[in-house]
Amino acid sequence: MSRPALGRLLGGAALLLLLILPNLLPVFWMRIATETLMWAVLAVSWNLVGGYTGYLNFGHAAFFGVGAYATALFTVKAGVPFGVSLLLGGGVGGILALLLGLPTLRIRGAYFAIATWAFAEAMGQIATIWEGLTGGSEGLRMPALADNRPFYYLMLGLLLLTLLGLHLLVRRSKYAYWLVAVREQEDVAKAMGIDVFRAKLMVFVLSGIIAALAGGIYAYWITIITPKEVFKVLITDNSVVMSLFGGLGTFWGPVLGAAVVHLSARFLWLSYGSDVVYIVAIGVAVCLVALFIPNGLLGLLERRRKGSAFAPQEPEASR
Amino acid sequence: MIQFLQSTLDGLLIGGVLIVLSLGMSLAFGVMRIVDFAVGEWLMLGAFAALLLTGGLHWEPLLVTPIVFVLFFGLGYFFQPLLERVSGGKRAHANLMGLVLTFGLSQIIRGGALMGFGRDNHSLKTGLSDLTYFLGPLIVPGAKLVTFIAGFALTLAFLYLLYRTSVGLRIRMVAQDKTSATLLGVETGRINNLVYGLHVGLTAVAGVFIGMLFTFNPEVGARYALYTFFVVVLGGMGYLPGVIVAALGLGLVQSYVTAYLDPRYISLAAFAILYLVLVISPRGLLRRGLE
Repeated sequence: MSRPALGRLLGGAALLLLLILPNLLPVFWMRIATETLMWAVLAVSWNLVGGYTGYLNFGHAAFFGVGAYATALFTVKAGVPFGVSLLLGGGVGGILALLLGLPTLRIRGAYFAIATWAFAEAMGQIATIWEGLTGGSEGLRMPALADNRPFYYLMLGLLLLTLLGLHLLVRRSKYAYWLVAVREQEDVAKAMGIDVFRAKLMVFVLSGIIAALAGGIYAYWITIITPKEVFKVLITDNSVVMSLFGGLGTFWGPVLGAAVVHLSARFLWLSYGSDVVYIVAIGVAVCLVALFIPNGLLGLLERRRKGSAFAPQEPEASR
Repeated sequence: MIQFLQSTLDGLLIGGVLIVLSLGMSLAFGVMRIVDFAVGEWLMLGAFAALLLTGGLHWEPLLVTPIVFVLFFGLGYFFQPLLERVSGGKRAHANLMGLVLTFGLSQIIRGGALMGFGRDNHSLKTGLSDLTYFLGPLIVPGAKLVTFIAGFALTLAFLYLLYRTSVGLRIRMVAQDKTSATLLGVETGRINNLVYGLHVGLTAVAGVFIGMLFTFNPEVGARYALYTFFVVVLGGMGYLPGVIVAALGLGLVQSYVTAYLDPRYISLAAFAILYLVLVISPRGLLRRGLE
């Protein structure tokens, strides 16, 4: 059997398994499966900017949190049905990304990382202080749903949609080349006539919409949202770590990273009963990846096969 | 009026400590072009080291600062080659990996401290907190005065090292042009080790000062990382005189917000100002920072 055919067969089998999974797993593991899907969505959306353009967004939690709050507010305060308010929440995330990206994507490197981090922290502070709208640190309460399965399918649907979008963007359009050109040599890309800024802004907005949608689904699933929960640094941290672990700028890397990292985190939590061990373990893992496999797990596998066009190449010389 | 003068004084006194916290980081960026995401964790670890040392020796916290400095200088000196390995030379994502490695390090330190010390608040006991001086109608707490003086002295010593010694000259050569410095016989690797060691040592000493003034726990790192980034960015990354101005400025902002608004707004104000400055003038308020 040829390689693509084998890949399709395996992919189809995996999809089938994911679709019937809720009928096989007990409630507790369903929860972990849903979480894993959510992290995969967040990691893929982070990687869209961080991996493909090299702009490290250290404020990804801002989109997630704003998406969660927007969806909750539309549902609770405006009485909009959940499906509509979820889409509205995604729209708010996109607008936020546009407004944030317009000034911020002009600054580079470490400055961009710090600016996005500061922005996300400020958003969290605003959500805490603006009690009239958000309920402050007490949080907002959503109507609860007894059945958890819809959230699994919502997250799965969002992940598949995201991957489809990514597939069209990086495998079926010229934008992929633009983005990688931005990452490798931004000035050269500009000199060759690529509208660098438009390319960056487009993926940034897309990334914001996806993260906000994930936040919206999470809000309805978890039913009580607080600034501490939906704006926490861990959301950004995990998105970065999972992308890095699987492979920056690769298609499947962040999905793989999310599965490996989140499942091992849950395993550590189950065996030691605290998240402290996890913090240390994740730190050690990140350091090891940075030191020994900068292209991530997939990079390690890809090297054996032909080099993927968009896997990061070893640069000729550092600037 | 008196309240205004009092908060001005308080702000300046805290500013003296913030200078020590940020000098090393700014220098490390100037020389190595690396933003240290673990800066808050080095500070926290410095405070805990002083807690253990004062507990064992029954000394004043101020007296253990030389030990803390030497200890953390060593840690930084020997950690730096790893940083060099990921960010220097011909590696994929060279510019991102420095951030990533220090981020991983910060997680290790924070998690390790949580395992060792739990989530409780600690403070460094000092006889200085019993002392209070008066300047006309203004109150000058002894601990704040002493840490300010110590911070100021440390800053002068640091600037002396950098601008009046041959090591300092070599550090500045590497900061200005790494290739030319290498061609002129400067051992760039050694200078990098030294600079990162100085940064970690100074940050840990700042942690001891902070521990004498405020309570701390393993999770305070993020807050002080914010302060450091604020000072280093506003001053212009890599531009040391800017650090002094920006640190005193942050001390004042903090103290005025507490006095006239609400302490809850401190972080919001700091994050908002930091963000606006980065967008409007990434090279700092004085526009003297490095690109």
